[in-house]
Amino acid sequence: MAASGKDVPKIDSSELKELTDKLMTACHILDHENVTDGYGHISVRVPGADAFVTIANVSPGCVTRDRLIMQDFDGNYLDGAKMPPNEWPIHACILKARPEIVSVAHTHSKWSTIFSVLPIKLKPMHHYGKFLSADGPPVYEGVGLVRTMERGNELAAALGKGPVVLMRAHGDAVAGESIEQVVERTTRLAMLGEWNHLALLHGEPKYLTAAELEVYNADQRFPMRGWEYYVSRLKDRQ
Amino acid sequence: MASLNFPAFDSNELKELKQKVVDSCHILDREGITDGYGHVSARIPDTESFLTTAGVSPGCVTLDRLVMLDLDGNFLGGVKAPPYEWPIHACIMRARPEVMSVCHTHSKWSSLFSVLKGGLPPIHMYAKFLPAAGPPVYPASGLIGTVERGKALTAALKDSAAVLMRGHGDAVVGASLEQAILRTIQLAFLGELAHMAVAHGEPLYMSEEELATFSADQAYPARPWEYYMSRIRERRAP
Repeated sequence: MAASGKDVPKIDSSELKELTDKLMTACHILDHENVTDGYGHISVRVPGADAFVTIANVSPGCVTRDRLIMQDFDGNYLDGAKMPPNEWPIHACILKARPEIVSVAHTHSKWSTIFSVLPIKLKPMHHYGKFLSADGPPVYEGVGLVRTMERGNELAAALGKGPVVLMRAHGDAVAGESIEQVVERTTRLAMLGEWNHLALLHGEPKYLTAAELEVYNADQRFPMRGWEYYVSRLKDRQ
Repeated sequence: MASLNFPAFDSNELKELKQKVVDSCHILDREGITDGYGHVSARIPDTESFLTTAGVSPGCVTLDRLVMLDLDGNFLGGVKAPPYEWPIHACIMRARPEVMSVCHTHSKWSSLFSVLKGGLPPIHMYAKFLPAAGPPVYPASGLIGTVERGKALTAALKDSAAVLMRGHGDAVVGASLEQAILRTIQLAFLGELAHMAVAHGEPLYMSEEELATFSADQAYPARPWEYYMSRIRERRAP
């Protein structure tokens, strides 16, 4: 169902100010924490609408307010800068399939990319991986950009009900119930990838078991402490 | 043990110690040991109480974001947001009267060696504060949110200066804040060295006899503290 333009708040409305500010901060955080390079994007669902805001064909590290775009779930342009990211279907298809998801990040994270092409899985060996299952995130095998609804739907199917899907020879897509949670999951996924890489040079590490993860998964508190910390680290660049 | 015997949280007596806790946290962050999580505590001399950070990242802590607790976790002053893992500090300080400070971090290197089979044997004379077999590992994963788990961690630490926490990080103690900080940083350095060395084959670790010679010298120079303080100054410049 396409969102009708008049039901959706304008991208520069005061109603969306907090969300769009946070979206830009999230982009700058992923850049500052070395998760993104010149590519990647984060989206946020427009509350109550089949629409989302993301960045308009610009690097996450370079985004500014006048480079945000609003689209509906069919990719129709609703507001903001004109140039949608090539891979808008990543956001549209996941947000459509998962009504509880508020935000999606897509990055070319070094650590997601490496585990997307290895026979060994990126499994949680630290409780930072509590959002993952014991056997690690699934991999979407279709290489190349996700520029069509068909591929977006395939990716959403590979993601399933989980928070993360690795994209083969490409990167990852991470979903969450808030922008803050998506940023935390994306940065932690990268940390876990690095730590798994380090550990595997020594042999098989002792991973967290499904039983242990079940205990942590029950704890879905989301502390703002990590977000405050990442925001504090941005001050240098401003 | 009457709480009347504790100096008041806002007393002049605690001013210097509070500043040192804040400095310690900023040092661990500046040296790349902590991320958004972790905490440092300082025992209030001659009491069964301590200062630590109040639900804030070490890198973001300020003088007005500290909390004072007794060794049962009772609130004595400051911001009423004790860290979830306060039993790490309380249980270790209760069992080890000589310990004046405890650092808990999610150090990458401690997290790594906590899930490896080989342990972290001494590879540099910086390891003089550790047992010859390397630091013990607390085998349970997950947060230390109860006194029961705090006691189990303390039992794993035993009389060592550091304990690795499986899939989690480390706890490091010292006879002063400066010593606990120096040890935490050196433990990370030892982990990185041991990791790099393994890529080349089995390194020549220090023997127990060699380590015993070094361990005889437990002098604590103020030199590294001055050095680490000099490195956090730039972040405080306006």
